[in-house]
Amino acid sequence: MEAATPLLAVRGITRHFAGKGPPVRAVEDVSFDIQRGEVLGVVGESGCGKSTLGRLALRLIEPTAGTVAFDGTELTALAPPSLRRFRRHMQMVFQDPFASLNPRMTVGDALIEAVRFHDRLGKIEARDRAVALLTQVGLSAEHFDRYPRAFSGGQRQRIAIARALAPAPRFLVADEAVSALDVSIQAEVVNLLKSLQEEFGLALMFISHDLSVIEVISDRAMVLYLGRVMEIAPIDDLYSRPAHPYTVALLQAAPGGGKRGGDRLMLKGEIPSPSAPPSGCVFRTRCPFAIADCARDVPPLKAVRPGHLKACIRDDLTI
Amino acid sequence: MPGGKGSALPELDGQQPVLDVKDLKTYFPTEAGIVRAVNGVSFVVREGETLAIVGESGSGKSVTGLTIMRLLGRSGAEIAGGEIWLTRSDGGRVDLAQLPEAAMERLRGSEIAMIFQDPMSSLNPVFPVGDQIAEPLRLHKGLSRRAARAAAIELLDLVGISDPARRVDTFPHQLSGGMRQRIMIAIALACEPRLLIADEPTTALDVTVQAQIVALLRELQIHRRMAMIFVTHDLHLVGDVADRVAVMYASQVVEEGRVADVLSQPAHPYTRALLSCIPRHQQGHARRRMTPIPGTMPSALTAPSGCRFHPRCASAEDRCVAGIPSLESIAPERTTRCVRWREIWP
Repeated sequence: MEAATPLLAVRGITRHFAGKGPPVRAVEDVSFDIQRGEVLGVVGESGCGKSTLGRLALRLIEPTAGTVAFDGTELTALAPPSLRRFRRHMQMVFQDPFASLNPRMTVGDALIEAVRFHDRLGKIEARDRAVALLTQVGLSAEHFDRYPRAFSGGQRQRIAIARALAPAPRFLVADEAVSALDVSIQAEVVNLLKSLQEEFGLALMFISHDLSVIEVISDRAMVLYLGRVMEIAPIDDLYSRPAHPYTVALLQAAPGGGKRGGDRLMLKGEIPSPSAPPSGCVFRTRCPFAIADCARDVPPLKAVRPGHLKACIRDDLTI
Repeated sequence: MPGGKGSALPELDGQQPVLDVKDLKTYFPTEAGIVRAVNGVSFVVREGETLAIVGESGSGKSVTGLTIMRLLGRSGAEIAGGEIWLTRSDGGRVDLAQLPEAAMERLRGSEIAMIFQDPMSSLNPVFPVGDQIAEPLRLHKGLSRRAARAAAIELLDLVGISDPARRVDTFPHQLSGGMRQRIMIAIALACEPRLLIADEPTTALDVTVQAQIVALLRELQIHRRMAMIFVTHDLHLVGDVADRVAVMYASQVVEEGRVADVLSQPAHPYTRALLSCIPRHQQGHARRRMTPIPGTMPSALTAPSGCRFHPRCASAEDRCVAGIPSLESIAPERTTRCVRWREIWP
C-alpha cells in the first residue's frame, strides 16, 4: 500500500472564501490520501469544511493553496480541456436527489446524456448502457421513460448514483448522500453504494455528519473541525480508541451513544465562526482539556499508532 | 385493551394524566381523496414524564402534535374524531378537540406550549428575543413590561444563555441555531405550561449541540414536573430523552411502552426493522451492514388492508391481511399492534 501511488493525494489543501470582512477559512492545510478501492469517511459538524473539501478533491472549486493529485497527475495544474477528460474518473453524488435531477427530463434521457457526454456512443448503444446502469442500481428498464417526480427519495438517489456511474469512474465523492432520506431508505442506499464500491473497486470519499453511517461504510475516517483535520484513523480504531477529545465528544454526543447525562463528555458552546478561528488548536475553545499551550501553535498531526493520527498536544490524556 | 380505543394505560396512582388522547383522527381533504394522517391514535402523558412519538416521514407523528395544539391552520385538516383531554393546572379537564378557538388561544402558551424544528421560522426576525419571551408573560399573566423583562432575563439564564442581561436585546439573526432553539424553549416555558410538545427540536442542529439541547429539555422537564411529548424520527435519541415511547407507522401507533423495554425487546416487527436499520456502535466490533426495510411507507390515501406494515414485514402471514390488528396490551405499560406478537416477543 505504501509503495504504490495513492489514487488521490491531497497536500496542504486550503480554501478561503472572500466576503465582507475577514475571509471564511473553510478548509485549512488538509492533507490525506485515498487508495484504490478505499472508502474514506469524512465526518464533522456544519461549518467544518467537509463539503468544500469534497469539491476541492474533484477540483470543482479552485484551492487557495495546496495540491490534489489523481493517480499521479496534478489536477490543480491541468488546463480545462485535459481536466474535462479527467472528470470521467471522478464523479459526485449530492445530498438532495430532488434538486440534482432535471424534472423535465425522463430518467432514461438523463442517463443517456450522462453516458454520451463522456463516450461517443450510438443511440442504441447509449440506451443499452443506460438501462444497464438502471439495473445496477436496483431499478429496471420499466423505469426508463418516467420522470423524476414518479420516484421516491430513495429511488431518486439511486438514479443520481446511476448517473454518477455512467462514465465508469474510479473515484466517487458522496456528499451527505443519504442525509435527506428516512432511516429505512438510508440503509438501502448505503448498502447499494457499498456493494457498487466493492464490485467496481471504486474509491469513495463519503462525507457525512452521521457517525453511524460513516462507521458502516468506511475503511478509514477523517474527523474535521473548523476546516482542519482533528483525527484520521482506520475505522475500528477511530470508534473503539478515539484519540482526539473532539472525536470522543462527537461519538458520545451521538444519540444512543450509550452514555447518558453526566457521564458524557459534553462540549460547551458552539462552533466558532470560520472567519475568526481560535489561535493554535481551533478546538481549544470548546475542549474540556485545553491548556495554555493549546492557544500557541496549531498542533501537527502525529501518529498515535500506525495509520492513526491526531492533532492534539495532550498526549497525557486517557479519555 | 382490545379495539384500540382508549389507552392501555389508565390513570396510575389515581392521578389524572396531563394529557389523555383517545382514538384521535385527523383528516385532510385533498383532490385525490381523504388523507387520514392520524387514524385512531390513543395515548396518555402523565405529569413529570416524557413520551416520545417516533416515526418516519409521513407516519403522522407531527400532525398528531399539531392536532393537540389545534394548529392545523389553513391546511384544511380537521379533527374527524376522538378526544384530547387536558388536565389544567387548576385540576379541571377540557377536551381540546371540542374547545372553541378563543378558549384554545388562552391555553396555548399558558397550559400547553410547542417548539419546532426550525427556530428561525418560529421567531419573529424584527423583535429582540427578550420581547418575544416577555410576550406570553404579558398576555397570559398580565405582567408589567418591567416585570416581564426581568422574567425574560431569568428565563434566558435558565435555558443556559450566558450574559442574559445583554442577550435579552439581541435579534434572532445574531444568534446561532442552538441559541435560537434555547430562546424557543424559554418562550415555551415562560408561563410554566403543564405540557410541552417538542417537534423534532434538535433535528436541524449539529450533534454536539443536539446533545446540549436534549439534556436541557430533559432537565427542565424533570425539574418542573412538566409533561413532555417529544416527536422525533430518531429512535436512538428516544433513549436519551424519554420515559415512554409510542412508535407510529402509517397514521397509527403500532407499539408503545417504556423506552428501555421497547428498545431492547421490540414487540412489533416495524420497531424491530427500524432498530436494525440504524447500526449502533458496539464497542470492539463494527457492524458492517445496515438492514433496510423493503418497500416504502404506504401513502395515507392508499393504506393496505389489514396490518399496514404487512407488505414490508418479514413475519407477515395470511391473517395479517385479514383485518387491522388492534393495539393489544401485552404486559403492564406495553402495547403492540401485531397479531403475531406472541411468536416474536420477547
